[in-house]
Amino acid sequence: MLSRIGNSLFWMGRYIERAEHLARYTKVQYVSSLDAPLAQTKEFVLESILNMAGITANYYQKYPQLTDEEVLYFVTLDESNPFSILSNIGFIRENARGARDCISLELWEAINRFYHTMNSYDAEKLLDEGIYEFSQQVEGNSSVLKGYIDNTLIRNEVWMLIAMGIHMERAIQVARILITKLKDIDKIDPAKLGGPVENYQWTTLLMSAESFDMNKRYYKANPNRRNSLEFLLFNPAFPKSIVYNLNLVQEAIEHISFQGQTGKGSISFMAGRIATQYKFLTIEEVEDDIVEFLSDTLNKIYDIARLLEEKYLIY
Amino acid sequence: MNALTLPQINSGVFADYLIQSHFLDEVFENGGLINPHYQQVLDQFSQFSADDFRELNEHAKVSFFNQGVTFAVYSDKSKGVERIFPFDLFPRIIPGKEWQRLEEGIIQRNMAINLFIHDIYHDKLILKDGVVPAELIFSSKHYTKAILGFTPVGKIYNHISGTDLIKHCDGEYYVLEDNVRCPSGVSYVLSNREAMKKTLFPLFRKYNVRSVQEYSLQLLATMQSVAPEGVDNPTCVILTPGMYNSAYYEHSFLALNMGIPLVEGRDLFVDKNFVYMKTIYGPKRVDVIYRRVDDDFIDPLAFRPDSVLGVPGLMGAYREGNVSLLNAPGTGAADDKAVYTYVPDIIRYYLGEEPILNNVHTYRCEIDSEYKYVLENMEKLVIKPVDESGGYGILIGSNSTRQEREDFRRVITANRRKYIAQPIMSLSVHATFIEDENRFEPRHIDLRTYALLGKDKQYVLKGGLSRVALRRGSLIVNSSQGGGSKDTWVVSDYESKVIHQSMNGDTMSQTMGSMKQEMKGFK
Repeated sequence: MLSRIGNSLFWMGRYIERAEHLARYTKVQYVSSLDAPLAQTKEFVLESILNMAGITANYYQKYPQLTDEEVLYFVTLDESNPFSILSNIGFIRENARGARDCISLELWEAINRFYHTMNSYDAEKLLDEGIYEFSQQVEGNSSVLKGYIDNTLIRNEVWMLIAMGIHMERAIQVARILITKLKDIDKIDPAKLGGPVENYQWTTLLMSAESFDMNKRYYKANPNRRNSLEFLLFNPAFPKSIVYNLNLVQEAIEHISFQGQTGKGSISFMAGRIATQYKFLTIEEVEDDIVEFLSDTLNKIYDIARLLEEKYLIY
Repeated sequence: MNALTLPQINSGVFADYLIQSHFLDEVFENGGLINPHYQQVLDQFSQFSADDFRELNEHAKVSFFNQGVTFAVYSDKSKGVERIFPFDLFPRIIPGKEWQRLEEGIIQRNMAINLFIHDIYHDKLILKDGVVPAELIFSSKHYTKAILGFTPVGKIYNHISGTDLIKHCDGEYYVLEDNVRCPSGVSYVLSNREAMKKTLFPLFRKYNVRSVQEYSLQLLATMQSVAPEGVDNPTCVILTPGMYNSAYYEHSFLALNMGIPLVEGRDLFVDKNFVYMKTIYGPKRVDVIYRRVDDDFIDPLAFRPDSVLGVPGLMGAYREGNVSLLNAPGTGAADDKAVYTYVPDIIRYYLGEEPILNNVHTYRCEIDSEYKYVLENMEKLVIKPVDESGGYGILIGSNSTRQEREDFRRVITANRRKYIAQPIMSLSVHATFIEDENRFEPRHIDLRTYALLGKDKQYVLKGGLSRVALRRGSLIVNSSQGGGSKDTWVVSDYESKVIHQSMNGDTMSQTMGSMKQEMKGFK
């Protein structure tokens, strides 16, 4: 496989997952804020959305203050924002086009439909239909794409590279969501912690990672700090957890017979090390410095991605 | 205007269909009779109301849009809008016998052109013999010294040719152009057929339509046939300028259908005169390249140094025989417009055969008898100076005044060597669905055909791309100029099928044998 194509496949996977998480996070935060407990100000939520997307500074370069309409437009449709959901979807299609001869017709057509559907949105339609409908479209299409990836592609390096992109990005996005929410919670008046305000944060955290109902089913208890973090970091059977995704990244890397990929410093070694670390950690060991721990995780994943690109996907 | 309306099916989508007697209508003969090979299509279409047909049309368009068979249109808005290449559901039908002759002619013509290309880069016999003027070739900007004296594998240069044909009002096909520099459009032929099969499947059961799908297989076989010496299992690739090229869809479509990699210049490199592609497993050797990048851009070391689309050193590897290129660099010298007029002579010179396909006839005023003809028939001719371009100094006889013709006569007589004349060609028309009118109207069409030459093999795609000038009265079929396309059906034995359908049981025997006999007793 051409290195350039490999690069396109890997990034196609990453953008699919990124667009989906961004859309869901925006939807969940915004929609739940509409009837949130009193302490939850609207600005708080809008800022949380910008922080999770990593575009707070970009936003303030363009707009003087936080408004619902401007934040939502900036995150979803603004094409001058290279991190907007629409930009992400454009990148999905561009990468798919670059790798057009490697993927199935079904997958390509689904990507194409996705792109055209979302491109038909403008500020007015977004306002009319609301962020809920917009995000549902993104999430639904994202699931369709992943369905075609899983059901129409041979399990060769094409699939492995896309899968590597998807699972790496999902681990990243879940970590980002966790970090953002943990920082949000830190800002809450300590006097109110433990009550409905904190409860609300864990609920929206889990919903942002599409994990709320599964968390309840698994623990048979209301979400709290301990079980939410444990579920999203260390549950090896849950597809949104970081450990689950790190395991799949490691697996995908091992299934591609990259040259010179064993030994210290190889991507296989690095991916195996972090996956194994997660496998044998407990929440009690990390919960005190959880934000720092997650930041360290993110850096390790970024290192793997960088090495992969520099060594194998360069052209 | 000398026009007839269609008497038989003057309703629905055919309401007020005009048959213009000065153009050949592919579907209807003058007087409004249906050409027999179109009978089944018309029977089917005349059952549709305008709304039914519009719905079918929309259905087909969505299918194209979803496949991504689009090109970007840039307007004053900053965002590029994607459009489909307009496609018409009414197929153009060419009877098998008529096609057979075309196919022979296309192969004859392209094989002669191939021998011509070999000659002009080697012994130049045809120039020495004065059949084609040497200065015509050496002044061509497509004549490249980089392949002088070099013979590619199988002695093939124009592996892929797109011969453009029109049907004139005399019922004959004429070649308009020979495209031997990587002609495009074949993906539309294949996609059009897919859309037609999805949309109008019942019609296919009524005709024996020749398949077009084998084109990809034939193209791959052609590539493999010209692999470098000693390479048994060649790695073949398509070289594209990239996804922003307007024909990128086609490049990726062909790569997908042949199951070979689609590469860009930056994916390839040359090391010690061998070509490699960069893969996730390390470098892999490339043996045959179907390049969709123009000569000027394929190798910055040999041609334009500012090209970022090419591969430095590619021509070196090519001349060493380590990689094959389709088409060969330098083939453009043969599809120069001026060379066109000599193609019949080129065919006679190399093959010793009479040309099967007509060129648009050219009268050279330096020859007495032709000079005389030109002067007597100026109203019917386009008269051009041979050494000017850009339409300068041309007389279009049908649009000229008596005074202009008088003046031109004097100019020609003063310098007969300088002038040639050609009859005014009229492209045939074909019923085409016009969305704004919600009905069929006649529109001018041409036919781009696709021929493949490999080592000891020839193939012509059965049919081709019928391009339609969608604007009323327009003769310009290019997609950038409001052109569209039609699926083109080569149908075998249509005669027997049509009669079988329309005959009464009692007059029809089981065997179709001789047509004349069967027609007895049939009004």
